[in-house]
Amino acid sequence: MSKLLKTPLYAAHVALNGKIVPFAGYELPVQYADGALKEYTAVRNGEAGIFDITHMGQVRVSGPESLAFLQYVTTNDVAKLVDGQVQYSALLNVHGTFVDDITTYKIADAHYYLCINAANRHKDVAHLQVEAANFDVIVSDESDSTTLLALQGAKAQAALQPLLQMSLDDIGYYKFAVTTLDGHEIIVSRTGYTGEDGFEIYLPNALAEKVWQALLDNGAVPIGLAARDMLRTEMGYALYGHEIHDGVTPVEARLMWITKLDKGDFIGKAAVAARKAEGPQQRLIAIKLTGRGIPREHYKVWVDGVESGEVTSGMHSPMAGGVALAYVKPEHAEQGDISVDIRGKLIPAERTGLPFVRSNVKK
Amino acid sequence: MTIPADLKYTKEHEWVRIEGDIATVGITDHAQEALGDIVFVETPEIGRVVDAGEAYAVVESVKAVSDVFAPVAGEVIEINEALEGQPELINTDPYGAGWIAKVKMSGATSELLSDDEYTLFTEE
Repeated sequence: MSKLLKTPLYAAHVALNGKIVPFAGYELPVQYADGALKEYTAVRNGEAGIFDITHMGQVRVSGPESLAFLQYVTTNDVAKLVDGQVQYSALLNVHGTFVDDITTYKIADAHYYLCINAANRHKDVAHLQVEAANFDVIVSDESDSTTLLALQGAKAQAALQPLLQMSLDDIGYYKFAVTTLDGHEIIVSRTGYTGEDGFEIYLPNALAEKVWQALLDNGAVPIGLAARDMLRTEMGYALYGHEIHDGVTPVEARLMWITKLDKGDFIGKAAVAARKAEGPQQRLIAIKLTGRGIPREHYKVWVDGVESGEVTSGMHSPMAGGVALAYVKPEHAEQGDISVDIRGKLIPAERTGLPFVRSNVKK
Repeated sequence: MTIPADLKYTKEHEWVRIEGDIATVGITDHAQEALGDIVFVETPEIGRVVDAGEAYAVVESVKAVSDVFAPVAGEVIEINEALEGQPELINTDPYGAGWIAKVKMSGATSELLSDDEYTLFTEE
């Protein structure tokens, strides 16, 4: 295994008694001194939490054929984006299965910015570079020079506003601004992975410690990976390696809302269209245990006495109890008595909608 | 980290308080600290007969599922029902309100350590 990387905030995490674990090739805090539950509660119940998600990758796409290139390599309709808008999207391979899920930022005509998953960074960049050879575009991987912070929770705006000259009121949900801080260009977007209002802030590494400390001084609570996963699972947000991977298409993952078959050709389109026509091989569903227990990843899901699939993400939600996302056979997506095998006992569950708890994003 | 002098310990970080032939069992402060926030406890059925060293309960933290091993052999005669609604009692009071079960001992035990021996063991 290659050497683990440290983010520019590694020393800050250690100073805050962060419990450091290997994650996606980085040494990152799974929790800080007060523990995951208190961190989760701070974000859900009205505070602001700050997350070091520098492990995520960033790719800048520029050049006259940027739009045509991104229409071809991503699933969503990039032509719908206005300057300063963010779009959830995906990269597929020719089989229609996932290379990654991403967000696409439109900075200007012929100038876009992609945020990609840490574990997929080199795979994604190679995939993009291969396709870029056929377009008049420049694809540059800026991951190593970019620090990414997420600031999430009801008090996020109050914590961030004092650092900036622009008004955060001008940034709507899934919108962003390119602004300056100490003479450096930064990107501030009203996006996140928690179901709370908040921002993701792209910084040059030189500003990382200063901005981190300023946000702590403004009352933000540091949040580790464990609470981050609780917050995203409660929203039912897909996570690469769990709900989405190179074995499923957007049809199975219920991500056809970001897969626009009517926008022109893109990588994987034909395979997705075929899968849609023939029907999915499995379906992602949301379930809530009615019996006691915690449905964990890889636990088997049973429907009407047969094994139908398995949990992809599961947790004990302080508000909703034992909840999970799971793949089941398509005929079991909507009907049949459902249960989860927890240590050899079938614990009854029911299908439910998403999110598992109320979202407070400001749409 | 506290290690009370009046208890015995195992190398799997369980504690046992023996009074006559009744053993009260739980997990140590060291164990709860390492696990982090405990959000679920699966206690054994009353009447279940366990061997020394047998997994008799499960504690789950936010990220991990851990078996709890019986320090002594015997019959489970009482369980801590408060843990169903308040699993965090194991975090806040591991040797008191966070006890897991009471076992009527039948004789055999795991290798039991004194407080001093357990202190040395956790420092190794």
